Amino acid sequence: MNAPERTASFLLDEDNGEMKIVYTADTKIANSGTFRFNREDHTVANLFRMQLLRDNSVRFAGYFHPHPLLNYIDLKIQTNSSTVAPIEVLSAAIEDLSNETDHLISQVTDSIEEWRKQNDAGAISQF
Amino acid sequence: MPNQRFPKIKILHVSPHEIKFILSETDVSMANTVRRIMIAEVPTLAIDLVEFHDNSTVLNDEYIAHRLGLIPIRYQPPDSIKGGDCHGAFLPHRECVCYERCPRCSVEFELDVEFDAAMRHSMALNEETDVLAPLTVTSRDLRSNNESVHPAHFLHNEQDESQDDGIAIVKMGGGQKLKLKAIARMGISKEHAKWCPVAVATYRFWPDIIINEEQVATLTMEQKQELVDICPDRILEIDPVTGMLQAVEGAWDMATYTEDLKFCQDALKKRPEDDDFVRVEPSKDKFIFSVETTGCMDADEVLLSALRVLKNRLNYLAQEVENLKETQ
Repeated sequence: MNAPERTASFLLDEDNGEMKIVYTADTKIANSGTFRFNREDHTVANLFRMQLLRDNSVRFAGYFHPHPLLNYIDLKIQTNSSTVAPIEVLSAAIEDLSNETDHLISQVTDSIEEWRKQNDAGAISQF
Repeated sequence: MPNQRFPKIKILHVSPHEIKFILSETDVSMANTVRRIMIAEVPTLAIDLVEFHDNSTVLNDEYIAHRLGLIPIRYQPPDSIKGGDCHGAFLPHRECVCYERCPRCSVEFELDVEFDAAMRHSMALNEETDVLAPLTVTSRDLRSNNESVHPAHFLHNEQDESQDDGIAIVKMGGGQKLKLKAIARMGISKEHAKWCPVAVATYRFWPDIIINEEQVATLTMEQKQELVDICPDRILEIDPVTGMLQAVEGAWDMATYTEDLKFCQDALKKRPEDDDFVRVEPSKDKFIFSVETTGCMDADEVLLSALRVLKNRLNYLAQEVENLKETQ
């Protein structure tokens, strides 16, 4: 009866004009703001947080997942100076992570190939 | 760009159902993201709709539909012997432009088993049949309309131990019949666990075994032996030449429980505040992954597919961030 939709955790409600990312600047703290990522969870939120914390121009980065039935996360970022906006550090972090993933894909492909070469072709398929 | 990392992967073992590897030079957030995506966001095929034409078995329609859903469905590209990534080969049914369903977003399976007909058939073949024994309907009885898609199967060694020749769906007796059409679609296990490609996807931290040589030098041979013997995983040994304590080869794979080692060395210390002789700490940047699949995809494909999912997600979010910049 009151069960959430099966797709609620990953499908954006575009019919009701739901945006993927909504930004709200903080009114009390300088150089800071909150990004709401709709239909996202710890998977990317923690990845972003850790990557942001490695950036020297970030003073604070943290995320908040209010409840398991609420399918969004709030990512709060504060930067060191007014010359760098929170959105700039976020987009740099995503770019770094994207490159890291590219690197991982080629690492995996290469090392599997190498492993196969070393461990003969006997194990190709058991099906 | 300034904070990019270049992680390393070392493969320990690859087989169709299992992959073990070491991920290093990155942090837990990346390890956990990869693990979470392998569990919940890698697209696979699973039976999602079932039309019953005839069911006189002891199980009701819903029960059978649920059992059908849980059967791993394997997509094997035409030119391959591997269970491949179905992303690209199929469209998610919500994104497909077709009216209800089409071969691009779904695969149809038919199942039609009748106890009496099956008995007559095996009698005609002069097989020894016990007419009173129940007949097991298995995943082998599902006939697919797509040559590349079939229910996943046992490995040879598993088959030898199994009494059925497929995954059991229902058992039927004399006069019973089951006829149905099942539609498999692509999905992710965030929607339902039946789309999960992995049975096990875990990582553990690499154990850093740190031996304080200066401290160890103050111990007698017996005390060192005591440290070696107390560890249930036998991760330490005494170098026969120098008499120094050292980690055995492959200790990283064995180290699981090191509390006994802690208690023992506390008792050996002259003063409680002395440094530890041996410390075993979880590494912050090295992870030992172990992934086992359900059979719907090959294990290495699950890993690669997970990384592609992550890559696509990051590109999508990067684009959304760009759009947000423009509107500000």
